[in-house]
Amino acid sequence: MSPEKREVTLTIDGREVTATEGEMLHDAAREGDVEIPVFCYEPKLGAPVGACRMCLVEIEGIPKLQTSCSTPVRDGMVVHTRTEQVKTAQNAVIEFLLVNHPLDCPVCDKGGECPLQDNTMGWGPGKSRVIDEKRHFEKPIELSPLVAIDRERCILCYRCVRFSQEVSEDSQLQLLDRGDRTYVGTFDDRPYVSPFQGNITDICPVGALTNYTYRFRARPWDIEQAGSVCTLCPSQCNVSFTVRDEKVKRVITRDNEDVDDGWICDKGRYGFEMFNAAERVTEPRTKGGGKVSYEDAIAKAASGLKARLGKVAAIVGDASNEEGFLIQEILRQGLHSSSIDSRPAGGPGIDTILELANPARQAKVADIDDADAILVLGTDPMGSSPILDLRIRKAIRRNGARLVVATERPTALDGGAEAIARYAPGQASYFVGALAAAVGGGVENIATPVAETLREAGKVVVVWGERIGASATNELLGLADALNVSTTEGAGLLEIPETANARGLREAGVLPDAGPGLGALALQGRGTEEIRQALIDGDLDGVILVGVDPLRDFGDTAAWTKALDAASFVVAFSTFATATAGKADVLFPLETHAEKDGTVTHPDGRLQRVRPAAGRPGDIRPGWQTLANLSLALGHDTGVTSQPTAFAALTNAVPFYASITDEAIGGRGIRWQDTASASSLPGFERQPEQHDPTASDRPGLKDEADPSGGEIHAPGADATASAPDAGAGSPDTQRERASGESVPVAGAPATLALGTYRDIWSGPITELNPPLKFLKPTQHLELSPADAHRLGLASGDKVRVTQGDHSLEATALIKERTPEGVCFLAEAITGANANGLLNGHQVRVQIEKLAEVTA
Amino acid sequence: MPHQLETRVLLEGAEDPRLATLQGYKDIVGGYATLERAYKEMEQDEVLKALEDSGLRGRGGAGFSMGKKASFLPRGDMPKYLCCNADESEPGAFKDRELMQRNPHQLVEGIAIAALASGAGHAFIFIRGEYDSQADVLDAAVAEAYGAGYLGKDILGTGRDLELVVHRGAGAYICGEETALLDALEGKRGNPRLKPPFPAVQGLYGGPTLINNVETLSNVPRIVAKGAEWFRQYGTEQSPGTKVVSISGGVRRPGNYEISLGLPTRDLIYDLAGGPLPGRRVKAIYPGGSSSPVLTAAEAMDLPYSFEAMAGAGSMLGSGSVIVADDTVSIPHMALRTARFYHHESCGKCAPCREGTNWTVKMLERVVRGEATPMDLDIISSVQENIMGNCLCVLGDSMAMPVSAMVRKFRGEFEQVMAEAAEGIDPHVVVDAPAETLGAAT
Repeated sequence: MSPEKREVTLTIDGREVTATEGEMLHDAAREGDVEIPVFCYEPKLGAPVGACRMCLVEIEGIPKLQTSCSTPVRDGMVVHTRTEQVKTAQNAVIEFLLVNHPLDCPVCDKGGECPLQDNTMGWGPGKSRVIDEKRHFEKPIELSPLVAIDRERCILCYRCVRFSQEVSEDSQLQLLDRGDRTYVGTFDDRPYVSPFQGNITDICPVGALTNYTYRFRARPWDIEQAGSVCTLCPSQCNVSFTVRDEKVKRVITRDNEDVDDGWICDKGRYGFEMFNAAERVTEPRTKGGGKVSYEDAIAKAASGLKARLGKVAAIVGDASNEEGFLIQEILRQGLHSSSIDSRPAGGPGIDTILELANPARQAKVADIDDADAILVLGTDPMGSSPILDLRIRKAIRRNGARLVVATERPTALDGGAEAIARYAPGQASYFVGALAAAVGGGVENIATPVAETLREAGKVVVVWGERIGASATNELLGLADALNVSTTEGAGLLEIPETANARGLREAGVLPDAGPGLGALALQGRGTEEIRQALIDGDLDGVILVGVDPLRDFGDTAAWTKALDAASFVVAFSTFATATAGKADVLFPLETHAEKDGTVTHPDGRLQRVRPAAGRPGDIRPGWQTLANLSLALGHDTGVTSQPTAFAALTNAVPFYASITDEAIGGRGIRWQDTASASSLPGFERQPEQHDPTASDRPGLKDEADPSGGEIHAPGADATASAPDAGAGSPDTQRERASGESVPVAGAPATLALGTYRDIWSGPITELNPPLKFLKPTQHLELSPADAHRLGLASGDKVRVTQGDHSLEATALIKERTPEGVCFLAEAITGANANGLLNGHQVRVQIEKLAEVTA
Repeated sequence: MPHQLETRVLLEGAEDPRLATLQGYKDIVGGYATLERAYKEMEQDEVLKALEDSGLRGRGGAGFSMGKKASFLPRGDMPKYLCCNADESEPGAFKDRELMQRNPHQLVEGIAIAALASGAGHAFIFIRGEYDSQADVLDAAVAEAYGAGYLGKDILGTGRDLELVVHRGAGAYICGEETALLDALEGKRGNPRLKPPFPAVQGLYGGPTLINNVETLSNVPRIVAKGAEWFRQYGTEQSPGTKVVSISGGVRRPGNYEISLGLPTRDLIYDLAGGPLPGRRVKAIYPGGSSSPVLTAAEAMDLPYSFEAMAGAGSMLGSGSVIVADDTVSIPHMALRTARFYHHESCGKCAPCREGTNWTVKMLERVVRGEATPMDLDIISSVQENIMGNCLCVLGDSMAMPVSAMVRKFRGEFEQVMAEAAEGIDPHVVVDAPAETLGAAT
């Protein structure tokens, strides 16, 4: 990948082929339009293994045939792929592979899209000489609840095993026994558990690994493949929907190495049955559940909103760029309000957003591959953007990148990290500031061990989570400058936002202080949490909710309930009938990403197109259409009459999208930073401003606009307040303080600082997709062994966790790597939602062991 | 007393059990003097040159020049390794067993000197798991050598270091393949690796690694002590030195005999091993272990026993293990037993070996059951052709070469066995014996 690799010229079957030095012969041949059949070779899996022997070719000067998958090209190489010797070997390998293959193609799901079939037809001898009995295995059996394995069909190509060992690094799949008795399995026949396991069904070149969700559902001639983008998380992986009778039957990968490296997670793969769940909102409704026509619903919504001109807010979550653009048009032009936000907990001011958006500071996904060091800050990619977890593992394994992790809660990547820092919940801002100072060579502090790795590295990619909060995001600029990311090619920041299309919505103007194109506004509106407060206080009277579920997903459930009850008029757009949707006076259905037509913007700035693959169930109309009609009903004509006009309206309004066309987006997407219009970003021509990481306070940052950020002085929260010289994040300090203050009243339950996280499997994904139901998480209280000991808790104990008037029940789970003084609960768990314990400040919780209920 | 046709160099003094101790090794053959001189006085290149000039060829099977192999290791400051391949598992081979049991210090000294030549700082002896008592002998010898300062840090005060570990394998023939040996040593499933990169460049734990057979390394002390000229007085131009030959099968005195290479095969079998049992005659031999193409008695007897003569006859000297089949042996059954061994030991990584060994066994079983036709013999031959040269390592070829030679040279017998079995003439044919009882001839 490095630019200094030189080009070489070789001859393959008489054609002159140009290739990059070090490239494998098989790949060079393909680029020269010469096909060499393979089974085991898959560059995505790392180094070739040369096991199947299908790709043998003749190379002049070498007496034996060579495997083209593992032979690097050399200048002047002369290669033959069609000689008698090669043909004989290809026939032989196909014949060998079929010795034990059951040839049950007529009843095999792979039949019709099977590389073994294709290679047999293309390169095999055409007749069988085998009359002996084949080996037998029990079949099919559960490799996991999602994947069936048929060991008789397996040709032992090693692909699934290599995926497990070298891509997802769970090492659960192994080859057991040997010779022709070899089979793929797990230790002790335990189920294969991995959030990426479905990928093995994509790479299996035969019908040995099949999805239970697709077995016997369709044949290749019944189906159509529809390429789109998965918007279940910010990874925005490129997928292809297998559609039969207008319904999605399967989701498979659609390789895009700039986005997903050819893998998808099981959430995106198996989360499609919810598209037709009974809980889908399939037509407009009014309060009480009555179905109404679109025309009536729009009229009702328009009159309700018009009556509250200037007192309406909007919160947007799951929406395309076009939908985001239209909703901010409705708010700003139709309803004369700027109280609109797309961030669950507000966020930094537009100045910071613009600084972070500066292309010089931006890392793209592929930069992770070549980074010298990677800092994972304030997020666990396994939960927030799973495909980046694989990407970071790959960078470490194949290119020796050095990883450092700085988070509140232990992450799945900790095992590969060179240095790990744990800061206390709510202390991200202090930590990032300390890290910037430490990288800059300041006095030794809590972040010094992490800083040492980063300081020595050249190219640093910072993968950071939006959850670090507004104040920490402001501090990021200082860190970025201390790491010289804007002057280092291939270095930069990459955000993992809270919602899938967060970047696109912000750039489309779904922000309280900026319009489309991140243009600063004179009239600044309210952010998410201010909207909530204004609804409670009566300063706002109506709210439009698009693809958000505050009662499940946002912190402080009680306040959101109060706010939604206080609002006299609620218009909601929702995919499913959620509790939030139940509060709506007018409820519109939303399309899923299998039905929607529109663009989204990846966190690295790549515009991608979500294309309609499946039919919309019930009476669902496109989001752009509903919004354009609503705008029209409010007296503002957006001129949008179709998806292309919606896209045109967006690109007209966002200057740095101006030169992007549908053709340019194509199947792979295009980063706006790579287009001519990138210079239209406000402040683009400015050199990134250097921020002094040691300065404690900087002008121009709107801390006051951000209730969640800034210094934390919650009552009773002194234990975790910033103390730059004492290392507030150090477990020792926390323990001392926690124990020091835990006895205001004799016998009072102990308190721990609470951190929350979003589990990959929480929410509708496991509740509305029957195949994934077995993964539905229950609430666990994660705590350190020392705290558990002090509280007399063992893993598995039932506990009540209380904060103020709110409490929930959970199961204690002792985790070795949890810092002392802190405990963690998952958000969005039905029946025990940690969001209910939050109040916008750093909270401490009381923990009480519940008596065993004897049966 | 050794037979007059033997040339005992490696087995010098082997009849004295004291040789296995450090003191005995010193007293009887003047052991460790060479190590001392090499470590104290010689540079890497000097040792390397002595080995290269000697023309010593690897005794494990491939017969590659040992000195040349050692010279392939890159120079420079990096962790380098030496692995002694003591995973002697080839049916018919049992010479390393005797060398390790009778004279373990000769091997330890050879490893230490070879480490000097290759720049290795860590050495391993990978010994097959079934060689339990031999591994105990090696463990004791290595402990003695550490105690005497011949191994470890700052050997004999020279500032040179070498750690030596005896590692017992878990009992898989494939781990005698050098790259599978490395994987097994690293704690992985013992499967061969793709080559290139060759172990000399990227071997154990990714470092340059020299891998040699027990007998090869046992030759090292004397070559360095006495020089290439001395070594070349034995053997032939292309096969210098002596060789411990394991003879088994239908002979009166099976066992290990150390000969000067180039000795007529007839002398080896008739004089040293005593020839066939009374009333029998030699029908065929495997000249170099069960993986070498069989030679008929007529082909073999007048050949000198050397690398080049065996290669010239379309076979190979291999590890120097002669298996003699007399006229009571059914060649088709011998072919089946050979194929079963390799089928049982195939690791399963590459398709031609995995499926080819399995298919060949099934076809040969049909042959001896009388359920085959002459066309199946053609298919068997063609399958062997399809295996040869197409595999990841040489295990597949190791079955294909002897089986294909047997079908070619004894086709009439195959057809006769097939026909007789079909008519029920030989009801005692046992083909369903459990796999465990088949295989290793040792």
